[in-house]
Amino acid sequence: MSGTNWIGLYTLTQREVSRFFSVYRQTVLPGLISSALYIMIFGFTLERRISEINGVPYTLFILPGLIMMNTLTNSSSNSASSMLQMKLLQQLPDILTAPLSSLEICLAYIIGGTVRGVVNGVLVMLVGVLLVDMPIEQPLATIGFIFLVSWTFSSLGLLLGQLADTWDQLAMMQNFFLTPLSFLGGIFYSIHMLPDWAQKISMINPIYYMINGIRYTVLGIYDSPPLNSMIMTIFMTILFTVAAILVMKSGKKIKQ
Amino acid sequence: MTSPAIHISDLHKSYEDTIALTGVNLTIEDGEFYGLLGPNGAGKTTTIHILTGLVLKNSGVTEVYGKDTVKDFRFTRSQIGIAHQELPIDWFFPIEKLLYFHAGYYGISKRIAKPRVEELLERLGLKDKRTSRLRQLSGGMKRRYQLAKSLVHDPKIIILDEPTAGVDVELRHELWDYLRELHKNGKTILLTTHYIEEAELLCEKVGIIDKGQIIKEGSPRDLTKELGKAGINIHMTGWCDELNEALSSFSFTYDDNRLHFTVKEPEADMARIIQLLSHHNCHILSVSAEKSSLEDVFLHLTGKGIN
Repeated sequence: MSGTNWIGLYTLTQREVSRFFSVYRQTVLPGLISSALYIMIFGFTLERRISEINGVPYTLFILPGLIMMNTLTNSSSNSASSMLQMKLLQQLPDILTAPLSSLEICLAYIIGGTVRGVVNGVLVMLVGVLLVDMPIEQPLATIGFIFLVSWTFSSLGLLLGQLADTWDQLAMMQNFFLTPLSFLGGIFYSIHMLPDWAQKISMINPIYYMINGIRYTVLGIYDSPPLNSMIMTIFMTILFTVAAILVMKSGKKIKQ
Repeated sequence: MTSPAIHISDLHKSYEDTIALTGVNLTIEDGEFYGLLGPNGAGKTTTIHILTGLVLKNSGVTEVYGKDTVKDFRFTRSQIGIAHQELPIDWFFPIEKLLYFHAGYYGISKRIAKPRVEELLERLGLKDKRTSRLRQLSGGMKRRYQLAKSLVHDPKIIILDEPTAGVDVELRHELWDYLRELHKNGKTILLTTHYIEEAELLCEKVGIIDKGQIIKEGSPRDLTKELGKAGINIHMTGWCDELNEALSSFSFTYDDNRLHFTVKEPEADMARIIQLLSHHNCHILSVSAEKSSLEDVFLHLTGKGIN
């Protein structure tokens, strides 16, 4: 065997994708249900007090943020939990002793998480279209953006999964960093509604740029220039992908 | 000259505060059945894990058929099938699917793997369990699955880390038969075990590893001959002083009508001793032979039992 182990890469990717589809009640349905609840509870109730933001009805305004939150939560937790699970359940040696390179192993995990992120993001988007007749200004760009964010957070999840030793450590990363950054990234508000100091802080939150970007592709509105969102997302994609591959290559916390 | 199946030279490895390997040298020829014997923490599993890419070495040479296990990892790993000591758990997929996945990691498509998977499920008695999840299998079944998994890509070298640990006697004998069959079919086998009997029965060559080094190597027969403590016990009457002279070529003690000989090969020496005693009109009441075992060799070399 020389060059790329394509069958190996395909098999591991297939395993990763089949794994989350086999437990769709845990991995696909919750995002749909919680998004529908957000739309009903936050959207319909708050819309009476905040009728519009940037000229868009409040329910529509929060939908791109919900798409993004589902996308990044699902993509990161897929690769993180899968990697940690394989470590803790003694499945990882099967992968590490196979003729698969660090790059191939990483790609398989990242693609697995990306597929879950895209599936969840697109399904929430469809919920928006069906429930509140959400218009999508640039459908292809929206799906492309969901894909890019899924890849970014799947890579981040893989990185965290490799470095974590326990479920507690993994949960800490997700609960104390990812979720707060998502909520503070402007899912439910425009950052122009915040005081100056809070706006400045939001500018260093990468998730803000992702929500801003998808809001632009879906609704055509934005708080910051869409190009900045694209640049930041591409930068984060490259950063986390390279970091995940380098950690895998080093064997840190995986090989002794 | 063809390269050996496995060649390890001056292999060193330390973990944070533990020195695991202090210069392991090991050569296993193609088609050989080799046993690595050692107490817990001797370095058996570390050696195997370095060879298969699970542990990073500090220094030394590790080669499979002449290729470096780090630089040419695709080649070397595709030659090896490993059954790990730890039994994995998988909640998601039936064992048949897991075998196809495993073949896939080695670059074998489902279509090509199918006959091999069917053969292994049949041969290892897993056919009825093909749709079961690993957690639904008994310990013995999980061991069979481990073996099936290590063979699914038809490797030339099979590494078995304590393959019969925790299995009942019947299954152990079944697995031994299967390992003999694999060896007969030309597979190179590297076995680590706590069961000395297993190594004595199966292996052509054993290496005794202790404190991170291989301290002795050889066939079980040669090792027991060289380092074992075999003996012959004879209960007799009619001792005469001439016997001291007649038996002077043997190492023996005589006390209370009992003769004890320390010999390398009891079967070979017994006839001669009996002949000499009869010649001097001794009356032999009983004869027993103490056979030496690898356990004695192990004790002799390491100063402790394998367990």
